[in-house]
Amino acid sequence: MKKTLSIVTALMIFTATMFAQGFKVKASGEQNFNFEDKAGRNQTSFFSTTPLEDIKGLSGGVQGSVTFNVNDIKSLKGKISISVASIKTGIDLRDEHMRDAGWLDAAKYPEITFEIKKVSDVKVVAENKLTAKVTGNYIMKGVTKEVTADATLTYLDESEQTKSRAAGDLLGVQAKFNVKLSDYGVNNKVVGQKVSENIEVSVNVVGSNAK
Amino acid sequence: MNKNQKYVLALGIILITSVLMYWYSQGAEVFTKSQVLVDKTTDLDRMLGVVNKQYVDKFVFGLFPSGMASLAEIISVASLSGFLMAVSGILIYLFRNKKKETK
Repeated sequence: MKKTLSIVTALMIFTATMFAQGFKVKASGEQNFNFEDKAGRNQTSFFSTTPLEDIKGLSGGVQGSVTFNVNDIKSLKGKISISVASIKTGIDLRDEHMRDAGWLDAAKYPEITFEIKKVSDVKVVAENKLTAKVTGNYIMKGVTKEVTADATLTYLDESEQTKSRAAGDLLGVQAKFNVKLSDYGVNNKVVGQKVSENIEVSVNVVGSNAK
Repeated sequence: MNKNQKYVLALGIILITSVLMYWYSQGAEVFTKSQVLVDKTTDLDRMLGVVNKQYVDKFVFGLFPSGMASLAEIISVASLSGFLMAVSGILIYLFRNKKKETK
């Protein structure tokens, strides 16, 4: 009985190790990456296209962190938030309107958040690069909906070049997903005319594991 | 319409056409913009698989004004054309024949 249990345990560890997909880098074990960047280089952007106008919005007020086992990206957990007040579209008056109650209501809901729930469809592109589908709760204007993002994660060990950005190893995350404005209570008459009903959201952030 | 009125009308049409051509050459934006997105992606960003774009201050001439807070927001095809039409209209009125037409 003891022998059978040992064999089963060994098989489980072997299977878990064989099928775990992660980075093959110098670091090992659980790592925590913080996305705070005071220079505003970490950003999320949105794109709206209508026959009348294309709008590109950008938010530099990104915060958050993720934790994962370097050898198993499916262990990824964490959240990324952006400040609604930091969103810019190139027109000051439009930025003000976007912060109004009829749009994102920045006074009542100052942040938009993505909370990671699970990672699936992992593909190893290179030893330090993976693609995956990241599913999580997207919270905007007080409404929570599950969305799935196509993400690319790139891990760089600390080097002289990476130190120019931040100390420690760096994790680059590039992700895209779509958001339907009416799902989040944004239903004013401009939606569908000057602003698209479906917005493409892009995330471009770099985190550091320096403590 | 007398000779002076015809000159004013022709000049107004030429100026409005020039404004439209300038707007088209500037990218035919719907609204006047005070900021544009500029790519600031570095080699390190590329290695990390991310892009970095930033808004920088730059005036882009649009079809309609983007606001009323500053002159830069007001200037647009619509506002300039409206101004030119108003000036042309006033001049055409001033250059009218003052002699009463006889029946």
